[in-house]
This record gives sequence, structure tokens and C-alpha cells, in this order.
Amino acid sequence: MPLLEIRNLGKRFGGLAAVSELDLDVGQGEIFGLIGPNGAGKTTVLNMVGGTLSPTSGKIIFGDEDITRLPPYRRAQRGIARVFQRDVLFRSLTVLENVLAGFHLLSGMGFTEIFFERPSVRRQEKVLHEKAMEILRFVRLDRQADEMAINLPHGNQRALCLAIALATQAQLFLLDEPLTGMGGEEIEAMMDMIRTLRDGSGITSIVVEHNIRAVIGLCDRVAVLDYGKKIAEGSPKEVVKNPGVIEAYLGVEEDAI
Amino acid sequence: MSRKLLINILSIIFLAAVIIALPITLGSVYWTSILVIMGINILLVSSLRTLKLVGHISLGHVGFSLIGAYGSALLLMKVGISFWIAIFLGGLMAAVIALALAYPFLRVKGIYFVLLTLLTAETFRLIARYWPSLTGGVWGLLRIPPPNPITIPVIGTITFDSVNNYYYLAAVIVSLSLFVLYRLERSRLGFKWRVIQDSEVLAQSVGINVMWHKALNFTIASFFAGIAGALFAHYQHALSPQPTARFGLLASVYLIVYMVVGGESKFAGPIIGTVFLTMVSELARGLEEYRPIMIGAIAILTMLFMPEGLIGLPKRVKLWYRKLLKPKRRVQCPT
Repeated sequence: MPLLEIRNLGKRFGGLAAVSELDLDVGQGEIFGLIGPNGAGKTTVLNMVGGTLSPTSGKIIFGDEDITRLPPYRRAQRGIARVFQRDVLFRSLTVLENVLAGFHLLSGMGFTEIFFERPSVRRQEKVLHEKAMEILRFVRLDRQADEMAINLPHGNQRALCLAIALATQAQLFLLDEPLTGMGGEEIEAMMDMIRTLRDGSGITSIVVEHNIRAVIGLCDRVAVLDYGKKIAEGSPKEVVKNPGVIEAYLGVEEDAI
Repeated sequence: MSRKLLINILSIIFLAAVIIALPITLGSVYWTSILVIMGINILLVSSLRTLKLVGHISLGHVGFSLIGAYGSALLLMKVGISFWIAIFLGGLMAAVIALALAYPFLRVKGIYFVLLTLLTAETFRLIARYWPSLTGGVWGLLRIPPPNPITIPVIGTITFDSVNNYYYLAAVIVSLSLFVLYRLERSRLGFKWRVIQDSEVLAQSVGINVMWHKALNFTIASFFAGIAGALFAHYQHALSPQPTARFGLLASVYLIVYMVVGGESKFAGPIIGTVFLTMVSELARGLEEYRPIMIGAIAILTMLFMPEGLIGLPKRVKLWYRKLLKPKRRVQCPT
């Protein structure tokens, strides 16, 4: 049974169908690529899975639960984490605090702390601190733990975005252009991390990416969207040879006939 | 760590001593009454800043203060509840109304939220103005009794009809409220508020119920606005629904000015701002009609030259000092 099932999903913005009749199955532990030309509706799909947009038709099933109508924070609580397109970080916090914010689901409200400090809370905080450092070591940001998040270079900020998502203990990562604006080495490092998450913790990822070469290298399976419709699906190597896909990217050759 | 704790304890003791000694050293009812109003304003501005922690600015904070003031006063006068319960219920009424309004209001941000709160506060004020059978209408609510006396076994009975005694009562309630607000900000709940202010989308995607946490923040801020209102009601013994009085738009504007001048980034900011501007307007009492201009000028100057408010003054001074004393280092070009 797939981890994420998308059935007949559609989103209309007024008269424009951004996504229509989309069916996708993403299996546990898969790195699933979502590609297509600009405006094909990739980010819209990601937004609907993450919950920031609600679909006009269709169903999204995660695990064995229909999450189509759940607000984003409830989806996060069920194990869907979002890594946003731009560097969406907690700007006034340090690198470590950013990760701790991701852990929020593991800690309580803290009303009793107003009048006294419970030792159990202290202990829990220590454990979370340790865990956060572990995650930072994984994304290789442990040495910058006490720096302000906004002072990190772009590539590191993206890595921190991944670390925040990791802290939420998510099973499904929604990565919106995780490689944009990165240099060669940073791309390699990021791809490595996503692979390690799959191999080490069985984490499933859906990746929206423009860098086709990276997608081919990274993804187990790919779906191609064009004008909101799925035009191809399969292994990356198959998909890039598909004539429909080449047409969508490059247009029809006029004197081909 | 323990040294820091010691310094903290010592400064709290020092502050407490100052608060206790102030009316005695100043020795005049006039100044003591200024201090009472100042204390109430500190609580109002601090609770306004609590709302700022989730990124919202309200121009209607006095509206919730009005609910607390009329609520507490009417409970005491018409129902006969003791002051000690009424003040709490006054705050609770403000909180409940805030919670009911939170979900529709907090959906909008920025200027729209400001307008909604402004109109709400004006609505509350006009209800008080046009409901004479309950609130005394345009004449206001008069002859609000002072707090009930309390009897402490050893010390005896304490009454609160003198300005001096009321000052100590207000000092205790305001300090306690500030303590709660301070600790709240530093609790895990306060951390979530900060996270929400930084990025609501990301806060949501790590599983924080943003709306609920914002609603909770609005409710808590309004609760303390209500407490401040109730403190005012039983001190002044009269409430007026006039637009130029305590609950008008101008009062709301002043609260924001206090916050901005003091600096909203730190907890002490609103306290410093309120104390500073209260002192300025008192020392310039002879120039009563120019007061709005003076306060406005101070606000503008602060925003231009110290956007972080008076709280950032030490840092600023250090910076200016360095600029003045140390000559610019010349960058040597490699030849």
C-alpha cells in the first residue's frame, strides 16, 4: 500500500485549472520527483499535499487516513513536513533554536513554568537539545549552532530548512526546489542527505525540481506535469525519453512531418 | 549562573525598595496619584506588547480595558461582588470577549487588524455611552466604591480609600501581572509566539496550531488590559465614555507611542517608555496644550534615530562613542 495516494486531484483558480485529474501513488521510502515546465502546477500539488491550498476536487490519502480537509498543522502532526521554496526560516532565532522549534510537537505548553521550573521539563529540554545537535551534525551545521539563522549562506540555510523538517519527525518530506541557487558541491551534499534519509530512516520525499540532471540522479520515480495534467510517469531514464515529455519541454518541431 | 541569579535577586529587591519608598520620598498625594496611573499604563502597554509578540498591533487595547473597568465596577455596584473577585472577573470578561473575537479578527494581518480593533474599541465605548440604564450613559459611571478593606491577622484592617494605600495595592497587582507576562514570554508558549511571529507558514508546517496560539495570546493580552481597566475604575471612582477620556482613540495611540518609544523588542521597553513619557508630560505640565505635540515629536525622533527605542540607548551610545573617539581605520591597498 502506498504511503501517499492522490486520487483525481484538481485545483481551479477561477477559470484556470492549475491541476486536474491527477492520480499519484508514492510508496514508503521512495524519492519521488515531480517535474514539468514552468507553471505546470508542481508547486500547487505540493501545496495541496502540505495543506496550504485546499483542492477543488479529489482526495489525498496519507497512510490510511483521508487528509484532504486537514489544516497544515494537523498534517504536520501526522508526519508531513514541508521544505519551502524560498529560505523560509525563523529569522529571529539561532540555528539551534530553529531546530528546537521543529521539535515543538514533543514539548508541552508550559503554563506551569510561569511560577516554577519543573525538573522534568529541564530534563526534557536537555534531551531535545541533544537531539537537535544530532540533527545539526547530520546536516553539517553543528558548528554554526549558535549563529543567527539569517546569517548563514544560502546553501546552509537550505540545509537548515531540511533540519527543521527532520525535527518534526516527519515520514514524508515535501521538498520544493531544494537545489535552487546552489553550487555543485552543495547540490551533491543536499542530494546525499536526501538519499541518506531514505536509506537510513526510510523517509519518503517528494521533490519538485527544475534541475533535470539532479532529478535523474536523485529520484527513484518521476511524474511529469504539463498544464496541470500528468503526461508521463516512471523511472527517470524512461521519462526523459518519452516524446510527450520532450514536446512539453521543447515544443513541437514544426517541420517534423 | 548562580552569580547571575544573585544579581537578579538583588535588582528585584532594589526595585521593590524603590517602589515602596517612592510615595514616601515624593511625599505628595499628587505625585502618588501620577504613579498609580503610570503603573496602570505600564500594565496596559506591556500587555499590548504581548500581542506584538505574535506580530499584531492593536489600536483597540483600551476597548478591552473598558470592558474590565465597567465590568468590575458594575459587578461591585450592581451585584455586590467583592472587589477582589470583581477585578479578576473584569479581566476574565475582557478575555472571554477577546477569545470570541479572536478567530475572525486574527485571520487578517497588519493594517486590517489595526482597523478591526480600533472599531471594536469604539463600539465598546459607544455601547457604554448609549446604555444609560446600565453604564450611566454620557455622564459616565460615578461613585464606584474603592476596594473592600482586607483584614490581616497581625497587621489589622487595611482600607484602600486613600491614594497612598491604593498605590501599594496597584503596585502589587501590576507587579504580579508583569511577572506572569514576563514568565509567559519565556515559557515554551512564548517561544511558540516568537516562532509564529517569524513565519506563520513555517510554524504551521512544523505542526503549530497558529490560529489557536494567536487567539490565546490575544486573550491573555486582553485579560491584563481588563485588569488594568478595573484597577483604574476603582481608583478613579468614575468612568467616562467620552472620546477624549480614558477609553478614546487618543488613549490607544498613546499606548502605542509608549511602546515604540520604550522599545518593543525587550520586556522592559514598555516600562521604560511609559515612565519616561509620563515624566516628560508631568514636567511639562505648564505647557498642557502642547503635550500631544511634544509626545509626538519625541515619538518621531525616537523612530528616526533610535528605531529600537530607549531600550536600545546604551548600545547606541556605545556606538556613537566609538565613532567619535576612534578614527576610521584606513584600508591599506595591496600594491
